[in-house]
Amino acid sequence: MVIYHLKIRFRMVEMKIIHKIPFQQIALLDETFSINFMPDLQSLRSSIKAVGLIQPVLLRKKGDQYQIVCGFRRISVLKELEIREVESRVLGESERNELELFSISLHENLTSRGFNSVEKAITLYKLVHHFQIEPSAVIQRYLPLFSLEPNEKILGTYLSLAEMEDEAKRYVLKEEVSRSNIRRLATLSSDDRRSLLSLIVPLKLGENRLREMLTLLDEIKRREQVIIKEVIDRPEIQAILAQKEFTPIQRTERVKRVLMDLRYPKMRHMEEEFEKKRKELNLPSGVSLHHPPYFEGNGLRIEFQFESVDEYRAILSSLSLLADKEEFREMIKV
Amino acid sequence: MQHTRKSGDQDEIKMFPVQIEKIYLDEKAEKDWGTQHLLKSLPDVPVERVEDKKNLIKQFLSITDPIGMGKRNLLITHFYGRRLKPCPGTSRHICCGYYVINAISNCPMDCSYCVLQGYLNNPFLTLYTNWDELLLEIEGFLSLVRTPLSRLGTGELSDSLAMEPLFPVSGFLASYFAERENGILELKTKSANVDPLLPLNHRGRTVVSWSLTPESLIGEEESGTASLNERIDAAKKCQEAGYPLGIHFDPMIDYVAWEKGYEELVDFLFSRIDPKRIIWISMGGFRYPAKLKGIAEKRFPKTRMFLGESFPGRDGKIRYLKAIRVEMYRKMVKWLREASPDLFIYLCMESREVWKEVFGWSPENSQHLNQLFEERVKKFIGR
Repeated sequence: MVIYHLKIRFRMVEMKIIHKIPFQQIALLDETFSINFMPDLQSLRSSIKAVGLIQPVLLRKKGDQYQIVCGFRRISVLKELEIREVESRVLGESERNELELFSISLHENLTSRGFNSVEKAITLYKLVHHFQIEPSAVIQRYLPLFSLEPNEKILGTYLSLAEMEDEAKRYVLKEEVSRSNIRRLATLSSDDRRSLLSLIVPLKLGENRLREMLTLLDEIKRREQVIIKEVIDRPEIQAILAQKEFTPIQRTERVKRVLMDLRYPKMRHMEEEFEKKRKELNLPSGVSLHHPPYFEGNGLRIEFQFESVDEYRAILSSLSLLADKEEFREMIKV
Repeated sequence: MQHTRKSGDQDEIKMFPVQIEKIYLDEKAEKDWGTQHLLKSLPDVPVERVEDKKNLIKQFLSITDPIGMGKRNLLITHFYGRRLKPCPGTSRHICCGYYVINAISNCPMDCSYCVLQGYLNNPFLTLYTNWDELLLEIEGFLSLVRTPLSRLGTGELSDSLAMEPLFPVSGFLASYFAERENGILELKTKSANVDPLLPLNHRGRTVVSWSLTPESLIGEEESGTASLNERIDAAKKCQEAGYPLGIHFDPMIDYVAWEKGYEELVDFLFSRIDPKRIIWISMGGFRYPAKLKGIAEKRFPKTRMFLGESFPGRDGKIRYLKAIRVEMYRKMVKWLREASPDLFIYLCMESREVWKEVFGWSPENSQHLNQLFEERVKKFIGR
């Protein structure tokens, strides 16, 4: 493994003669300098279809093949359009070291398009792990290029994203998951994350709901000492996910209720007992009975609604009978 | 590596659970006796003189984990403002009317659940060496206070004894309170650093108290504190030196094996300590301000402290479900009373309803509880 020092010589990329290089001579699977994840090729495709390739790609001679330095997307579109060669500038094999070439690729892409969060993660990961650049140097030199605050926590977040499975990366991109939730996802094992995705992808969660769901699952896992898959595979959760007629919001609310019950079993039991007794009271319609928030403190709260004096009298009369009911007395003691 | 010091013919004393990396010395505190004592105790630690304390704190807050790093960096300075305040307690709950002396701020121990993590604006382990002013303030308070007996303590913003071998403020205060008729000092600790207290003529006016937790939780959640055995050994030494003892089961922690853990803890306590030498015992379920969870879980990713069934209480603090707290308190009271029926047991920051459910009665209010404390102290020290 070559260890690169961050003294990249500032050298102009010399204008090279443009060659037409056939695809069969290009190492299409070599992604050393690629910084692409789920690229949006639509506009590039339209442009190439309309006017052809405007900017030649940059290749490096490597053995008897050519390595792509800049132009992965262009080559991908050209191949899709069944074009067999690409106009290229070609660098000699020893003309630049790999870090310099990666840097050229990075800067070319920075100026021509933005990076999505996974692409930022891939870049930072390659710098630290492939090119062996000291994390402190990556923080100071490269995070600002992506308009990121130069600190260890941010680098750590992106490195952990780079290590996730493609399925998780796609979710992060599609749902624009925040850095704090990326950090939560990163605490999970690969298996747990896969199971989690099977739950959260159909729910279409916003940031806050995702945070709630991740926190609940993590705490259930640690309380019960189970893996997340065991929680998600529970029949009550699978039954909710299988209900085709639920909207994502309805599904989310129901799943959250199940998770809350698993996370707070004593509270669930108390609520069930309270509800059971409340039903036994046969309260008149329009009357509701509430326990104190979280059962902290004593005292019940009754609310009722009426539209006439007669209705008001009828409610008061039925409420006065509650004092004789055993269930009601028990509820006051809770 | 822990700091150690030879003290007379004593064996090397465990000083800190962490290596002190640097001393920041406020120029105003340079000539104080406490400062000189401390610098002699840590001769190899680099000292930086500080002119702008606020700026130093501001810069320090921007580093990674200022809370953890703050425990390794000492700031010696003066405290400006009131150092003696009523314990903030909590609203809509019964509190014991305790007064807090601010002699040290922050703590070299590192309990995962420590509320100071989200409370202190200054992350340094900070020693205030203007003791003369502190004594004047205490003197003024005791001469004006209307209650016949006040309880004051240093264990709110730090552990009272964690720093004692280096910075003997507790011994200093114990000697001072020995001469006072209407004040009792309480030193709360999770350490075993009692040796400097043992030879003092304390006249029973200083209560040395331990916060006790089942041993398995000490290992998991109370980093840098003394083991249960060391704490009880230290309590036994204080008992033999005639100090009244206090015991705080606070925070009481709800975990899978809590019944076994706490019952064994009570058994162990009374196998070594005479219950007649215990002036008071408190119980308080783990409670915390909402923001603590995020801070603590970030610093202690393996902590299980926040996995209980906790909800916001009427004072905004997060507490275990009332039914859980009541069950824990009732069982503890039963085990404690079996060991000694006359123990003075109270609840910290609990509501009247909870008192009633646990004991069958409740103090009318915080003032009433304070009166009960006064009676207890009079009876205990024969004043």
